[in-house]
Amino acid sequence: MELYELDLYEASKGIKDKKFSPKELFESCKKRIDSCEDKIHAFITRTDGTAPVTENPNGIFAGVPTVLKDNLCTNGIRTTAASKILGNWKPPYDATAWKYLREAGAVLMGKVNMDEFAMGNTCGNSAFGPTHNPNDISRVPGGSSGGSAAAVSAGYVPFSLGSDTGGSIRQPASYCGVYGMKPTYGMVSRYGLISYGSSLDQIGPFARTIRDLQLVMSVLAQYDPMDSSCFREKNPDFTHNEDASIKGKRIALVKEFQNFTLDAPIAEAMKKTQKVLENNGAVITEVSLPVVSKYAVACYYALAMSEAHTNLERYDGVRYGYTVNDAAGIKEMFERVRSYGFGSEVKSRIIAGTCLTEPSRCDEYYVAATKVRTLIAQEFIRAFGECDFILQPVTPSLPHKIGEEDEDAMKGYETDLYTLPVNLAGLPGLSFFTGYDDATKLPVGLQLIGPRWSDSEILNAGMILERHLGSPKIANGGVK
Amino acid sequence: MKLSREEVNDIALESRLLLTEKELDGAVKYINNFLDILDSFKELDLTNVEPFSFAEALECPLREDKVNAFTNTQGIFNESEHVDGSYFKVPRIMED
Repeated sequence: MELYELDLYEASKGIKDKKFSPKELFESCKKRIDSCEDKIHAFITRTDGTAPVTENPNGIFAGVPTVLKDNLCTNGIRTTAASKILGNWKPPYDATAWKYLREAGAVLMGKVNMDEFAMGNTCGNSAFGPTHNPNDISRVPGGSSGGSAAAVSAGYVPFSLGSDTGGSIRQPASYCGVYGMKPTYGMVSRYGLISYGSSLDQIGPFARTIRDLQLVMSVLAQYDPMDSSCFREKNPDFTHNEDASIKGKRIALVKEFQNFTLDAPIAEAMKKTQKVLENNGAVITEVSLPVVSKYAVACYYALAMSEAHTNLERYDGVRYGYTVNDAAGIKEMFERVRSYGFGSEVKSRIIAGTCLTEPSRCDEYYVAATKVRTLIAQEFIRAFGECDFILQPVTPSLPHKIGEEDEDAMKGYETDLYTLPVNLAGLPGLSFFTGYDDATKLPVGLQLIGPRWSDSEILNAGMILERHLGSPKIANGGVK
Repeated sequence: MKLSREEVNDIALESRLLLTEKELDGAVKYINNFLDILDSFKELDLTNVEPFSFAEALECPLREDKVNAFTNTQGIFNESEHVDGSYFKVPRIMED
């Protein structure tokens, strides 16, 4: 067995037990990256020239390498959000999430690919070209955190960080065959995360085992005064507990979702998972989410685009990123910088957000969407009075081939129906592995969601599912 | 169609975006499709519904009102081509 094949817990333990050094682990991961990266293209910036020394050899990570989605600020290291407009920007500070990982002993292998400003679900909408799925390099890895999922799936690193605004951790985790956690909004500091939809964005981890997600969450879930949406005194306990049980837990399916068509491997995974849950003492039940199922997609995009238009106003070429030096006036400078720097999907969303928040349309669209969001959040609160968790797909289908994106953008957005309501209500969601499809050999993932602050309970349930459904293998990464 | 090409182009200019003809075609289709979908909100009675805020708003975390100096100002200035001393210098704001 090569060192890069170890999961986070094993790697950290191996270092602490002096079976191998952090440098040996780092070199093994680097060699793995070298052998696969020309096929997968997960990186935007590699920082693995020489093995860095860990800041904390006794910390949880003890020198284990990781990668970060390229919308997390890293002091002095290029951060692009996969956009031309940030150019070669080197932030003057670290994102809190990365600071916490560093202080717990993690070392950085690099910054990984994503859809530009996290707008997309294929990781193909990047100024740096598409990332490929390590399970089948002709297919998309999902997005927007596609690079983070692909890096863990291919064995580049045992864990990584991404961000999830409408499914951007859970969907690529499912497509790549790894575990991905979208924490409760307010559980993890967003300071230093390049903003897309600030009321929806949340940072979270990818890993190949649930135990590893628990380890990373135990470090990430700390109060940070630099993020006013970050809650203190929640004190979640992410300790790995082999004896955790789901006996008597009520796990619901969403009534309205039963009318939607799922591809056969996903429908089969739903049945298989329900059996596992029942065999472990859980009770399968049903909840009704009529507003969520009918209005969540429109509500989400109205709010996400409105917030994005405001957040992306700051890119003007003055203080950082791509710029021009020969503009006659400030208006020309802004127009030239933004017109060249943003990709077409980002431009469309900025224009839509501007349109929805103009005084003449604001009440009809933006304010209405914030009210629909209230109904959606209330619907979930009611539902979680009747059940402990909700089991549902992450997507209705397996990853498609690169280049086969739907030409009708709105139709593409509808595939996000299973993920984005979670962000609207600020809930935690776990994307978990259920096995491989016999026909395509692609991984099949599903999702477990719970009420706000139930993150550790969801991971305990995920641990039981992993025990019975099996853990994912490292994907071949396009290497025979 | 709710918005004409001219209206979409005006909104783009408001956002400081100059669109190519192809981009404008795409944006017109994109926004009009999107506005049609948002019309579904009219099916709901939102009269007495409050705009969303997180349920825990009452326990909104507050921090001490204390200034913490950001020391890496050079790191900020290193990233701009428009620095003049300790200021950012921009092209003229008033146009002819």
